[in-house]
This record gives sequence, C-alpha cells and structure tokens, in this order.
Amino acid sequence: MPHPTAETALTPGTALQLHGLSVEGVNQCVHCGLCLAYCPTFSELGTEMDSPRGRIFLIKSLAEGRIGLTDSTVEHLSLCLDCRACETVCPAGVPYGRLIEAAKAEIERTRPGGLLRRAFRWANFGLLLGRPRALAAAAAALRFYQAAGVQRFVRRTGLVRLLPGTLPAWEALLPTVPRASERAPLSPYTPAEGPRRGRVAVLTGCVQAVAFGAHNRATARVLARNGWDVVAPPEQGCCGALNAHGGDHARALDMARQTIDVFERADVEAVVVNTSGCGAHMKAYGALLAADPAYAERARRFAASVRDLSEFLATEPLRGPLTAMPLTVTYHDPCHVVHGQKIRSAPRQLLAQLPGLRVVDLPESDWCCGSAGIYNLTQPDMAARLLRRKVRHVISTGAEAVVTANPGCILQIQQGLREVGSPIKVLHLVELLDRAYGGA
Amino acid sequence: MRTGPTPSKRRASRSASSGERLSLVPAPLLDKLRAVVGGGHVLSGVELSPYVVDGRTPEAAVFPATVDEVAAVVSLAAEAGLPLVPWGGGTAAAVGVPPTRAGLVLGLSRLRAIVEHEPGDLTVTAQAGVILSELQAALNARGQWLSLDPPDADRATLGGVLAANASGPRRHLYGTARDLLIGVTVVTADGSVVRGGGRVVKNVAGYDLPKLFIGSYGTLGVIVEATLKLRPRPDDERLVAVRFERLKDAGTAVRAILASDLIPNAVDLVDAVAARAVGIDAAPAALLIGFDGLREQIDWQIAELGSVVRPYGGQAPTAVPAGVWTGLARAAQAAFETPAAVMTLSVLPSLVADTMEQGANSARQRGLGTAWCAHAGVGLVTGAVRAEGQRQDPAMLATVLAEWRAAARAGGGHASIRWAPLAVKTALPVWDDAGPAGRIMQRIKAEVDPQNILNPGRFAAGI
Amino acid sequence: MTSMSSERKSALRRELETIVGVGGVLSDPEELLVYESDGLTLFRALADFVVFPRSADDVAAVVKLANRERVPFVARGAGTGLSGGCLPAEGGLVLSLMRMNRVLEVDYDNHIAVVEPGLVNLHLSWAVGPRGYYYAPDPSSQQACTIGGNIANNSGGPHTLKYGVTVNHVLGLEVVMPDGEIVWLGGRTRDALGYDLTGLFVGSEGTFGIATKIVVRIMRKPQAVKTVLAVFDRVEHASAAVSAIIARGLVPAAVEMIDQLTIEAVEDAFGCGYPRDAAAALLIELDGLAVGMEAQAERIVAACRDSGAREVRTAADEAERQLLWKGRKSAFGAYGRVSPAYMVMDGVIPRTRLPYVLGRVNEIVAAHGLRVGNVFHAGDGNLHPNILYDPRKPGEEARVVEAGAAIMKVCAEVGGSISGEHGIGLEKSDFMPFIFSAADLAFMQKVKVAFNPTGLCNPGKVFPTKKSCVEAGPVAYRPHAIEAQGLAQRF
Repeated sequence: MPHPTAETALTPGTALQLHGLSVEGVNQCVHCGLCLAYCPTFSELGTEMDSPRGRIFLIKSLAEGRIGLTDSTVEHLSLCLDCRACETVCPAGVPYGRLIEAAKAEIERTRPGGLLRRAFRWANFGLLLGRPRALAAAAAALRFYQAAGVQRFVRRTGLVRLLPGTLPAWEALLPTVPRASERAPLSPYTPAEGPRRGRVAVLTGCVQAVAFGAHNRATARVLARNGWDVVAPPEQGCCGALNAHGGDHARALDMARQTIDVFERADVEAVVVNTSGCGAHMKAYGALLAADPAYAERARRFAASVRDLSEFLATEPLRGPLTAMPLTVTYHDPCHVVHGQKIRSAPRQLLAQLPGLRVVDLPESDWCCGSAGIYNLTQPDMAARLLRRKVRHVISTGAEAVVTANPGCILQIQQGLREVGSPIKVLHLVELLDRAYGGA
Repeated sequence: MRTGPTPSKRRASRSASSGERLSLVPAPLLDKLRAVVGGGHVLSGVELSPYVVDGRTPEAAVFPATVDEVAAVVSLAAEAGLPLVPWGGGTAAAVGVPPTRAGLVLGLSRLRAIVEHEPGDLTVTAQAGVILSELQAALNARGQWLSLDPPDADRATLGGVLAANASGPRRHLYGTARDLLIGVTVVTADGSVVRGGGRVVKNVAGYDLPKLFIGSYGTLGVIVEATLKLRPRPDDERLVAVRFERLKDAGTAVRAILASDLIPNAVDLVDAVAARAVGIDAAPAALLIGFDGLREQIDWQIAELGSVVRPYGGQAPTAVPAGVWTGLARAAQAAFETPAAVMTLSVLPSLVADTMEQGANSARQRGLGTAWCAHAGVGLVTGAVRAEGQRQDPAMLATVLAEWRAAARAGGGHASIRWAPLAVKTALPVWDDAGPAGRIMQRIKAEVDPQNILNPGRFAAGI
Repeated sequence: MTSMSSERKSALRRELETIVGVGGVLSDPEELLVYESDGLTLFRALADFVVFPRSADDVAAVVKLANRERVPFVARGAGTGLSGGCLPAEGGLVLSLMRMNRVLEVDYDNHIAVVEPGLVNLHLSWAVGPRGYYYAPDPSSQQACTIGGNIANNSGGPHTLKYGVTVNHVLGLEVVMPDGEIVWLGGRTRDALGYDLTGLFVGSEGTFGIATKIVVRIMRKPQAVKTVLAVFDRVEHASAAVSAIIARGLVPAAVEMIDQLTIEAVEDAFGCGYPRDAAAALLIELDGLAVGMEAQAERIVAACRDSGAREVRTAADEAERQLLWKGRKSAFGAYGRVSPAYMVMDGVIPRTRLPYVLGRVNEIVAAHGLRVGNVFHAGDGNLHPNILYDPRKPGEEARVVEAGAAIMKVCAEVGGSISGEHGIGLEKSDFMPFIFSAADLAFMQKVKVAFNPTGLCNPGKVFPTKKSCVEAGPVAYRPHAIEAQGLAQRF
C-alpha cells in the first residue's frame, strides 16, 4: 500500500545550506524531469544521478543529511558541466547553477582529494588565475616550450602519455601561445571613431589575455568603430569565474571584490565582456556578495553594468562600412552566454549584418562542447565524448568555420577538429566583426 | 435470411434436412431457457434454418431481451457445459473454423436500445443488438455519426461489428472499432456482467478491455452494450474514381497520395472485376478516393489529386455516384454470385498492388478467375476466387489460398480465410498462424473461459 | 527494498554485471535514492538494484534471473510518470531503459517507424521531421518522457482529441514477457491477427511485461495550423464554449483550458502572452488543409463569442504559436514558482459536466485549506487539477491526499474515470473500486494472470494491494485515508 511521505528529516523551517551557501532552490524542483532531455551528461550516460533532476535530489539529500559525500555522490556531482542548459528549460525556475556551485564548494571543503590534485588546484586557482604576473610568466614559459620545438617533440614521441593523471589531456589543450608582442596587455585607452556614443570598459580576462590577446584588441577596435571610448584598466585581474565554478569559493569572493574595485574606478557606462563565463559570473556578483555588507550594493550595481559583447553591439545596427566576407559559418553558443545569460539571438543578429556571410544552423548549437571551464581537465572522458558529439555536428553543417565567443570553447573545438583532421577554422565572433572592419 | 426470432413451437424437434444433428439440448434446460426469456424467444427445429453455418445446425436459439437475461442464459449454458454462439445479424457467422458442436445460438437482436446519446460529449451508448444503419440514422438526426462503415450495415449489429472488427473504406481516415470503442459491457463465461473502459473518450483506468473484445469473435464474452466516440457529420462528401492502365501504377500512385497533403477519407483500389461489381467500368484497375469536409476543401483536393496521380498514369478523377460507397468494402466478394473462396490479407500498404497482382496470377495459373479490392492506404486486401463449376477442387483452392498466405507473410503480414466451403476450410487453416503470441491468447482464453463454452474452436490459435 | 542478505546481494550484483556489463548496475544507496520516485514525489520506494540493459536480450536475461531468484522487477523510462508507476513497490530490480533509445528504422512509404523504448517522445518527431512527418501523441512532458513510458500509460496529450492516444498509433510490440520470453505482439500491419494483444498491452502500466521494440505509426505534418486563444471572465463560459465548438461540427486538433492561477504562474515563468486577469483561457488548435481553415477558424471564434468570450485572438505566426503552447506545456513545472510542491490529479469526465465538476473541484480544495490550479484537455474532458501545497507544513500532505480522493469520487459520480492519461500506478489503485465493480476487477486480474502469473512484473500497481515497502516515514504501514473511511476495498 503506497503512502504519502514526509519528505525531510529536518524540522520544518530549517534553511537548506551547503558550505554556508543557501541551496533552498532545491525546493523549487517539482521533479517534472523536463531537464533530462537537455542535459549533456544525462544524454550520454542515461543515469538519473547524472541528470539535473538527480543532482538536485542529491544536493537536497546532502543538505538534509540523508546522505553523505560518498565517492559516487562526488563523482556524479563532479560530472556536472555547470552548463545550465537545464535552467533554460526548467519551468519552475530552479537556480541550478547556484546549487551545483554550492555543492562543489562543499566537496572541495570536505574532500579535497590527493596530493597531486591539491597541488594542481593550488597552482591553477591560487597561483596562476589570481596573479596576472604569474600567469604571464607561465605563458612565457609555455611560449618557449612551444616555439623551441619541445612540445612538438613531446607529442610526436608520445612522451606526453607518460605524464601522470590528467596531465596528458591538459597538455593537449594547451593553447598556442603567441609571441611576446602579441601577449602585450591591451592598450588602456582606445578612443572612439566617428560620433561618440559613450565610454565602456573591457574585461581582458586571464587565459584570454595570454592566449587570445588578439581578440581583446579586436574587441577594442570594433567597439571604437561603433563610437565607444574603450578603457582596459591595466590593474584588473581575474574575475574569479573559474574559481567559483571549481568550488574555490573563498578566493572567488576576493577576486570579485577586486574586480569591482577596479572597474568602479574606471567610471564607465558598461563593462563589456568577450568571454562568456566571465560575463555570466560577473552578472551574478550581486548574489555572490549578497552577504557582504560592504560590497552587496556595489556588487549589484556593478553586475547591472556588465554586458556581453554580442548583446551590447546588437542594441544598434553595426556602423558601416562592412567589408564582404564570402564565408560559410556556423555558430556554437557558449553555455554561459546562451544559458547563463539567456542571450541567443544577439550573436545571430550580428552575423546577419555581415555582408557575404552565409550562416548555417548548428544542430545542438546550445549543447556544451565539453570545455566547461577546466572540466576538460578534470573530467577528460566525458569532455571528450561531448567534444566528439559537437565536432560531428559542426562537420555536418558543411561550414568553413565555426564561430563562437569563448576562449575555452575555441580551444576545445579546435582540438577536436584537429584530432579528426578537419580543416574547419574556429573563430571568435569578434574576429569576424573585426575582419569586416578591415582588421588591425 | 431472417434475423429476428419467429414464433416458436414448444417442443424440441428434429432438424428438417438430412445429415444434420439432432437437437441435443435436454428438455429441462430448454424449459429453463424459456423461463428466462419467455417461451416465444427460444427457437428450435426448422426455425433454426437461418442459423445454420457450414452445414451445422445449432441445437437451439435463444433471444434474451435484457442484460440480466443474457447473463442468466450464459449461466445456464455454463452449468450445462453447452457451447454458446453469440449472434447479431449473422453477417459474419460463417467466418472462422467450423465448430465441432454447434451449441446454442445466443441472439442479441432484442437488445436494441440506444441507451444514451449525448451530442455535446460526442459519445453514444447502445446495446449490442442495435442494427448499425439504425444507429447511424439516429445519430445523423442530431448531426453526428459513428465513423464506422462496414458492409451490410442494414443487417449487422453493433455487437457483431465489434466482435468481428468489421470495417469499411472510411477506416482510411477514421480508423476502426479499436479507435472508436471507449467502453464495453460483456457477459462473461461464468455469467458475470463485466464492464471495461467507461463512457469517456479518454480513459486509462485499468486494462484496456475494449481492445480485447474487438475482433474476438465472441470467444471471451458476449458483448451486450458498447460506448463509442462519435464525430460531427461532415458538411459534404464526394467519391471519385481514378483509372489506371496498370495495376502497379495505381499502387505507386497510392504511395504518392499518402505522401501528399491530401486528406482522403478512403483510398480503395479495385481491379476490373471488383470495379464492375460496384458499377464502375475500370480496366484493369481504379482507385476510388473519398473526400469529406467543406465544399471548398473537397474541390481543392480533387484538383490536387489529379496532379498527384498524373505522373503515375492516373487519369483525371471522375465523379462516382454516392451509392458506390456501400458496395466498396465487399466489392471483391460481391463480384461473384457465389465465390469459391474469399480471403482477407493484411499487408503493408506499399505491397497492396503486388499482392493483388501476384494473387491474381497464381490463381490464373491454375485456371481460376479472381476479383480483388483493397483499402489500399491501410493494407487490407480482399481476394475472391470465382467458382468455376468442377474446377472447384478444394485441394486446388487450398493451394492457391496457401500461396496467397505465403506471399502476405513474406511481406510481414498475414492472411485469413474470410469465406470458403467446409471442404476448403478443412484443407487449409482458416486463420493464419499466430505464432508465440498465440500462446498468450490461449492463456487469456483459458483464464476467462475455462470451460471453453464461448464459440469453442472457432478462432485463431486454436481458440 | 527487499530484505536481501549482503551475500545474496553481492552474488546477484555479479550476475547482473555479467549480463549488462560492469557499468550497468547501480547498488550504492545514494544512487538508488534518485530512483525512488518518478515525477510524483509523494511516493518513494527503494530498489535493490537499478540495471541498464542495452538490448532485448539483456532485458530477457535480467527478467529470467529475476524469475529464478523470485525478485520483483519493473521497467523505467525517464521517470516523468505521475502515478508512481515505475516505483519498485516491493523492492527488487528497476530496469532503466534509457540506454535503449534508438530509432531503429523508418519506413516512410508505409508511415511506420520502429523504435526502442528509451527514445524520448519528441526526439521521434524530430527524427522524422525533416521528411515532413511527426509522431502524433504529444504528452506535455514529451521533451523528456520516453516511448516506452508512453506505452505503459497509453499516454495522451493535447492533440489526442483529434488524433487519438498512444494505442491508436502503435501497430506492434516486441515484448519481454514476465517470464523472460521474447514475443512479438502485433506487427507492422494495421489489423491484428487474433486478439489485439498490442492494444491490450498498451496502457497495462508495465504489469504485462517490458516492451523492447515498438512499431509506431507516423503521420504527415498538417499542411496548416491555426491557434486561437479565447479569454473568458467566467470559467463556466469557457466550458460552455467547448461544447459549442463541437456542436458547430468541428473537431479541433486540441482544446486546452487553463485557469487564472495557472496563467499567472506561466506568465511568471515564460511571459507567453496570456492575459493575467482572465478567469480562464482556451487554447484551441485547428490543423489540416490550408483551404477552408479560415472558415473553420471563424466558426470557432463565433462559438467562443457566443459563449461569452471577452477576447479571441489568433496567433500571428509560428513564433507566437510556439510561445502559447510553451506556456501550456510547461504549466506543471511553472507551478513550482508559486508553491514548493503540488499534486497533479488526473481525472476524466463527460465534457458536458465540465462546469459542474470544476465548481466541485474548487469547493473541495478550498474546504481543505489548499489552492488549486487547473490545466486540462478540455476537448475530451480530461482534467488536471493541480493541488498546491507545502510538504514541510505538518498535515498538509494528508489533506492533499484527501482532497484528491474526493475529486476522484466526483469524477466517478458523473460517469467519468479516475485516470485519463497518467495511469493508476500506485497513486490510485485504491480508487479503482470507485469505477469498477468486483467482477470488473476480477476479470482484469484474470487477464493479468495470463501475462504475469507469478506477479513479479511490477507488483503493487493498478490493483489495490496490501503488500509493499513504499515509504511512509517512520511507520511501516499506515491505513490510507480513504481506507480509514471505509471507502475502498482491498484485494
């Protein structure tokens, strides 16, 4: 005989928390299951624990003390990409991104893992991302590693496979670091061309600045061509997105505060971001720092000023003249633009304005490519599966290039296409816009 | 053939013609039956001649007037271990394996009330003995209809149509009983009254018993009442013919019609012989296609039909008198005054034309003429063999029918004898092989009719 | 969970792994936990194992093992069901079919497709969409629910008014019988040979076996579609409009009704353009030939106006049409914005009794101190009162269950049914006596025995039963509310 049940062991009224962060959002989940069909990991594995609904249930059970952080629970939660495709489709508005980040923070706290893992996380989150100078030094070393032929040697001889843990996967994803002149920081000030519309700041990013400085320069040029004075505060650091998504919560808060300080001083109308993860994360600064009385209001105001490059440029028609580019492209939606910021039509509107460009729809364009921050380093198997799926779809479009707006996606998809020997190029949206304006 | 009860004689009597069984119903049982339904509604002797099937005369015929009476009759029969043959209008009485023991005919014709018709709900509940055409007339009066158009609607009863899963050309668009029956009341082999489904058009409570009884030929229970979904009557309806110079082309044209935007309510394919039977001249083949709806919709579709079929050699659609509708479902059977055999083949729509052609060929090779018609869009083919005097060798006929069956099976379908003389039915299984699923059917039968008194031996899988 | 010793569990686990592979068996408590409910979180039951077969042979081998070990088993799709149908009520094995999710074959000439049970319903329509076809049964959860689940429940959806329910689109099934034998029921042709076992299996809620291949009918996409939204100030007017449309000789493809509370939740979630102050809205969809559609739409508009609609508008383009439908299809989930939990009821009534029943539903829910949002397939009288509640408030759950039972009684009283599409499952097995007599239930039991003599296949469903290990908090057994009132019988 079936009986209705009391759903929680806690006394009613206890707020649900993990790692001091609220996970009350789990109570909004009505278990309808609509998220299952849009979750990449569920699509690959078919197991309920690897679906948003299942993970919400695990998080709820953790917070209620029904289960502990066992190996399997940690595995299933860690397999989450945090792509937030589920949020887009969830009719009950469950704030899934916040729930999984709280869970990951809790995992980091109670199960930091072995020595190698801890070392890796410290190097990554503590050393490199937090400190622009350390990152620059690492980039220089990497540049040497690549330019001097060491990387070619390591890869060709297969030595790379001798590296422990996930380092081989890591190695494969290393961006090609351009020469030093290309890695120079973006000019602090780029004046508007033509009738001036206003003044904006640009986030130069961490990995972006090192590997894709060209995109930052293109961003400044394109904004300037459209009438914006562009400032790039040289003292800015990392926005902390990767830290937050990776469960490194305390540092993420510090980085958020620093970022707010820097951009407040810049005194601009908007902070334009060309990297999707950063944009989404900074738009959530208000929630992140809500518990800090010194920053709560400032964080909200700052967050309200953050704009993704595509949504910013799409508010007005692009200023001409735009050179024709006879090219067939397809567009891959970075998760944190399409799901994290709900921006879907803006990039397409921009592409539609470029003369000569033919745009083909990408099947599953809003499905994660597997990059997901550092996910492709921590969960290389699943990341590889999703990448193969993405590459299959890209190739099926017959496009000459796939356009996107996130360095992680670019590196990931580049690697996937390279693996199958495809000549398809991977371009940042801003590169195309820049080309249409005649480039550098 | 008479369909209703006639004034009876009061004693059990010897059957009139030679070679037939004597009535074996013991007098006390007959008395009890009379006590239940009234003396005038128990038939015996020569009154039983309308109920002779395959040369077997039933032992008696009983005509209850209410569900309770039906239940009482069934209980009595169960007690006595007497086989029962539920009987509506008798139009499908000859379908199936001839019974070894004729048993008691249980006539449903006195249960002929329309219990409830709620136009706002588009549902009707009627008793099993209602004649289909009478039911339609009552529904038409309120602007609605039951979208089921089997042949012989002026004789077939609702219960019989359901038990035999009878259907007609408009099943192409509107489906069959399976898509229309939403509730059923039956009297089961132990005399209980059981209801399945309900009176509402959507219902998943419990098992879908209505589906079980459709096409079950009375072997699982006696249908006494049914509730069905209705439709509003369309504004207009028209039937057109498209002639072809090759049957094969007509088959290809059907594919094109199915892939088009047209929404015909019937897509029937007839050969020359069957066409003649419905009063159309078409050699060697024609498609008969129906459309209903608003006049402008029908006009547009007929014009569009012309374009769709032209590349396949279809001639311009021509109007066909509405009277042709009624003959369509039995066109092949009606082609011959008395066919030598009739088979229904259930095949994939894309194989309909080939089935007809191959079937005609294999019969022709043995000097036998045939007539063919099909609801081409749903793959239901009927083939009738012409009786040729002394060519009516049962073994030869059985061989031809076996070939037809093999061809149907090769295409993933099946074929069963619709009508054939006793000699042929003993030479070839009437029903196609049900395979392993047949065992499940047998188990169901064993559960609900353990004594095996309902139409024993008549059905597929040896049921 | 069954009471299995850990040695037996380990041995079973190893055997299951040899059948489905090491990655195909779950037995960790945390992993089993997420399988304890389907879409209805009111009921929970823990399995001993969840296994992931990849083929019919895998399923058959698992079922044979279960038979040998006398362990109950049940199949599960996406777990979006709303009656607890895939819960392992007596413990044992849950066979998740999510890895058997392919479209095996499409025969466009004959309008059929052969698919595996774990295929998501909408994905089937997507697969045949490029050639201009679709699969008609469209439950609101079609983005997530699977064909196999649709088979178990004979699922409907808004468009079943015109096109029928799942069973009307299934021609054949490959089934693993409860004893492990693989049998084909029906096939690819339209007429069954012998009994319509396919028709009987569909809707049997997983108690007759496990379907491993399904032959479905696909249909040509309609040439044209028109979606009309009619807004009413009184619910009675909306209900009357439904009958009026039918009286004008029209069978729309869908007629859906939503009430004010639902409209507000949906507008909060998606901003679909429903007017917030309407007492009820009717979403009516026509499809078919482009020719004549205007004339038909005019009849509908007239019927709505004559019934007192204050506004009638037609979706201007495909984008607006999708948005209107999105609101309707996501309504259940949108309730999550206005309430921590809700109980979806599913009942059917004759269309003409709609105003009366709606009134009674609102009375009953109010009398229990709760709120209700109504969304339903008004075209065929299938209603979904969604009772909103907070499970953390003591006593609230019990009142929900009571209110639910009372609503089911009303449906039975007016000649309706206790389930239009969600199935009986666990949730309503005690209500079966509202609409079926003992003789009716006995007959159904006999049919079940023909398929499932051991009773190991999905026990505890459809029929009222005593035995189960479904959770009830600290107390193992508690009489159900309606049982305590003496309203239900037991088997």
